[in-house]
Amino acid sequence: MRRKIKITAVVLMTLVFSLLLSGNVLAQEEDHYGGTLNAALQMSVAHLDSDNSTDSLITAMMNHVYEGLFEFDENLNLTPHLAESYQIGEDGLVYDVKLRENVTMHNGQTMNADDVIASFKRWLELNNGGQLVSPYFDRVEKIDQYNIRFKFKEPYAPFLNILASPVSNQKFVVRAEEVVNEFGSDVIDRHVGTGPYKYEEWVPDQKLVLTRFEDYSPSPREGSFFAGERIPYLDKIVFNFIPDAQVRVSGVQTGQFHFAEEVPRDQYSLFEANPNIDNVIIYPDRMSMLIFNNANPPFDNKYARQAIAYALDFEELGYAMIGNPKFWRLEPALHEEGNPWHVPDAGKGIYGVYDPEKAKELLDRAGYDGSPIVILSGQDNAMERQGAIAIQDQLEKIGVEVELQLFDRPTVVERRAKKEGWHIHLSPFIKIVPDPQIHQGWTGTNKWISNWDSEESREMDQIFAEMLKEVDQEKRYKIVERMEEKLWDAVPYFNILDYSRLHIKRAELKNFKGSWQPFFWNTYLE
Amino acid sequence: MLFLKKYKKYEHPYITTSIIILIIIAFLSLFAPLLTDYNPVRNDARNRLQPPSYQHFLGTDQFGRDVFTRILYGIRTSMEVGLAVVLLTVIFGGIVGVMAGYYSQIDKIVMRILDALMAFPGIIIAISLAAIWGAGKLNIILALSFAYFPKMARIVRSAVISIKDLDYVDSARSVGAKDSRIIFKYILKNSASPIMVQATFNFALAILDEAALSFLGVGIMPPAPSLGAMVTDARTYMVVAPWMILAPGIMIILAVLSLNLLGDGLRDLLDPHLKNTLKK
Repeated sequence: MRRKIKITAVVLMTLVFSLLLSGNVLAQEEDHYGGTLNAALQMSVAHLDSDNSTDSLITAMMNHVYEGLFEFDENLNLTPHLAESYQIGEDGLVYDVKLRENVTMHNGQTMNADDVIASFKRWLELNNGGQLVSPYFDRVEKIDQYNIRFKFKEPYAPFLNILASPVSNQKFVVRAEEVVNEFGSDVIDRHVGTGPYKYEEWVPDQKLVLTRFEDYSPSPREGSFFAGERIPYLDKIVFNFIPDAQVRVSGVQTGQFHFAEEVPRDQYSLFEANPNIDNVIIYPDRMSMLIFNNANPPFDNKYARQAIAYALDFEELGYAMIGNPKFWRLEPALHEEGNPWHVPDAGKGIYGVYDPEKAKELLDRAGYDGSPIVILSGQDNAMERQGAIAIQDQLEKIGVEVELQLFDRPTVVERRAKKEGWHIHLSPFIKIVPDPQIHQGWTGTNKWISNWDSEESREMDQIFAEMLKEVDQEKRYKIVERMEEKLWDAVPYFNILDYSRLHIKRAELKNFKGSWQPFFWNTYLE
Repeated sequence: MLFLKKYKKYEHPYITTSIIILIIIAFLSLFAPLLTDYNPVRNDARNRLQPPSYQHFLGTDQFGRDVFTRILYGIRTSMEVGLAVVLLTVIFGGIVGVMAGYYSQIDKIVMRILDALMAFPGIIIAISLAAIWGAGKLNIILALSFAYFPKMARIVRSAVISIKDLDYVDSARSVGAKDSRIIFKYILKNSASPIMVQATFNFALAILDEAALSFLGVGIMPPAPSLGAMVTDARTYMVVAPWMILAPGIMIILAVLSLNLLGDGLRDLLDPHLKNTLKK
């Protein structure tokens, strides 16, 4: 009897304890809610309609308001988000998408196929990503309230990746049908989406204020970057537009801002020493591209282009362009390690091989006559400016005469569009690209980027055409391998290295994940 | 060299100090290659942002270049620009000023044009010209000379006007001296002091404005060293590598300050009115 009581007591105690504990846990979970987050972003935007702009910052902020059918998770895996599931049929000509039911929009209505189709048609017509798709696209059909069929005229493999693309403004987001009908192709300034936050106020050049959407319907999947559950812990998010980096920094130092985007990398150790500030080094999400003008001698010859790759000490360039080795790493492939399209042995034997003698040999072989090489680069971006100066220095060491032309951005864009007057150009590219054909830089080989028009470029066109039609991931990967191999043989342009940007945040901002675009769901203030 | 006779080392401490500083600066810029083992443009990025040490007297910059070396060559650039600008303004300002001051018909037209030019701040004219012509040492020299010569012309003109009706000029004319002889022998020689003072100020101003133009990115093209461009580059690293901004900044201050002091001193020395008041 006594024993029984004892056992009961123990069981009771355990029960009470566990209840208390769980209550505690629940209470803690509750505690995360509340607070206003102040973020300092580096640029202002002209408006908030992502389909009508090429500004990636619009997507970055409006990701809190709008959601896509598909989103990428931490490992760049395409994940259905507002979609529940999808099927690809008829050799890539038909995409059947089933939508999640009971998703409430900011106007109180439930999202259905009509909203998605209206938004999709607008995206196809206006958005830069949609315009890439539309030549291959046939039509979109409504099967029922929650089922949609996308039909293509020709197979277009990057379709789903483009829908979720984090590059520039390409992502497709679902807006309420009434808003799409109201604005048509005009810039939307009434925002009704499905996201965890809703639009409250926008003061141009000053701030954007978002408040929590109480009836938010989170995705049942586990939260990972843009995919899965997005929990709106914060009551309010204020995006402040602060163009001066030092002002953003001091704002975080004084506690005015909880987060500052892109601060000077060289102040890293300073932030590290401050217990109130956390450094957020994001995955190297930029790459510095060295682009040849393939139209003119000496770089109309592939040996001359290869010579430059051998002539450069990439590591030294890393220190000169970016500085602290925490912020850059050597990477020959167009897709970073961890990306499904990463090709590990790209550029083997040429990338990172510093061999000035071979470079001179190859230049002779290409018939280089010693005339000066013009490097055209921007002067406002540290990577472009310092990279150009460092490359000039290294080429001069092997006896190549170099003329440096540093200009402001618009002048650089204007000059590089011409066939004459420049030989080498440096440009930062977005690295996190979820599809080998999403980035406009290399979706076409004869575009501005290189004036590349030869036997080799036509072979590359062939590779791109095959890649566009191949919907099977593995077979498509094989084609990507061929592309990288070809690129490192012909070298119309090449990646010098990948580099990261540095953000800082206050220590009281918890569970912040540094991604290619900052987001504040699932984060909370302590 | 009239003024040298008047100059006494201890009575004019401004001039003495500034001349000493200027001699040091001139020495540094002339013998730059002998004073350092480093090349001002060669990179060594693995040793970037090194604090001042035995190897690098003033530390290194973001490319691992020796800051001391770059200052030596930077001050060289400043001196070249300064001297060239002074020469050009004296020649063109002098010609225009003498013509305007001596021939009153030309005066009316030329001076109105110069008035219009002087309505713009010099640095604005220089920035727009440098932006149009493109960056580069020669273009900066031309742009700054164009910006400064109206003032020089005006100063020469007023000196010429006040001198041309003096008795000794009249007597020269009455004995039949030609215009050119009168201008060179009697007028220019006696208006040398305001020209000299203004030239000194122009020298200082040219150094400062070259730094300003390079700071704004329309001046000396990198990687060529320039004090102004060094300050621009150093701004980003001000907190982590203060030597990068202090060294060229102090150098600009020294050069400009000494030239301004010299100009002030010369004016005191050469102006007969001021001299009398000072003596009292």
